[in-house]
Amino acid sequence: MSAMVEIFEEQDLAERFRRGDDSVFDRIVEQHSAEIAALANRLLGWPGEVDDVVQEVFLAAFLALKRFRGECRLRTWLFAITVNKCRSFRFRRRRSPPGPMSNGTESLVGPDPRSDETAMDEETFARVRRAVQALPPKYREVIVLKYLQGLDTVETCRLLGVTANAMQVRLNRARNRLKEHLDDLFQEEP
Amino acid sequence: MNEGQIESLLQRADAVANRPLFGDICAARTRRRIRRRRLARTGVPLALAATVALAIVLPALCMRAKAPPSQPQKIAELEEQVEQLQARTDATLKLVQEVLEKDRRQRRLAALEAELASIPDPTRQIEQEVDRTAFLLIYQADRLYRELNQTESAVAAYKELIQLFPNNRWADVARERLSQIERRQINKSDKGEIPCEPRNV
Repeated sequence: MSAMVEIFEEQDLAERFRRGDDSVFDRIVEQHSAEIAALANRLLGWPGEVDDVVQEVFLAAFLALKRFRGECRLRTWLFAITVNKCRSFRFRRRRSPPGPMSNGTESLVGPDPRSDETAMDEETFARVRRAVQALPPKYREVIVLKYLQGLDTVETCRLLGVTANAMQVRLNRARNRLKEHLDDLFQEEP
Repeated sequence: MNEGQIESLLQRADAVANRPLFGDICAARTRRRIRRRRLARTGVPLALAATVALAIVLPALCMRAKAPPSQPQKIAELEEQVEQLQARTDATLKLVQEVLEKDRRQRRLAALEAELASIPDPTRQIEQEVDRTAFLLIYQADRLYRELNQTESAVAAYKELIQLFPNNRWADVARERLSQIERRQINKSDKGEIPCEPRNV
């Protein structure tokens, strides 16, 4: 299905929802909930349990779907809501006492990679995830959207409301910070 | 470490991370959730406000219930005060109405004066029309004399102008023109060219 057909279909969905067809919302949830949950999971540092955020995202989408004008893809629109909800969620979590999810004291330095050069074990991957989690929100969002959600530059810029240059700057800085934390993992690779 | 390596590393780390868990979402449940939230947002403050209002009103009602019944003298005094207040209110209202009426009259008068001022003076208009007609006549006569060399027609036109509007400033100009024409013709007759035309004005 071409992109234009999908855009028209999404506009049609929004129009049907405006006319009171609730089944449209169920269809949107079915189509996008997995991606939304995955994005929330990544933005929140892979806690696994993201029910609250996902419910919040779709609740906000339900309230705002009547105003959806089809200026961007529905997926991008939902991603933008998710990013905002995750920011709010992290902000609230930072103000509340630290729980098991917000373990920021864990060291970013993992075991010596030279002990197992062929495969990265679970601990190494956990270290990578912690490094991503330790990034400032604006860098983490760019990294997650670009490398893990697979969004292109235009979509990412529109979603975050930044210019392509600003996004590139954020991406470079995020990569540099990751390199600082994880460069030793690649030192021994050929 | 290049970009590809970072991307690959991130994707592998993501692949082995916790899978996202979330409950069922559907339109009906979301609608119920919104309703509950609205209820919580509006109902709780309303309930609080009602409680506060009751806390304020109830003691007052109790105090009023406990108050001794009014005596006839007090009632009479109160009635007198009410009458005085009523009379004062009526007088004030009357004064306000008078002031408003006066203001309305003044505004009406000002509007009429403005309307009157905007009407042009008919005498002045007629004078302007006369002046304009006299000017047109002298303009035509000048053209006949200077451009078309029709001296007789020009003289007739100047004479008609003097006859029609003898007191107009253009009549003076016409008289001057006739004098000039007469002088010129006298000069010419002295030289034996054209006989002089008598002036009857």
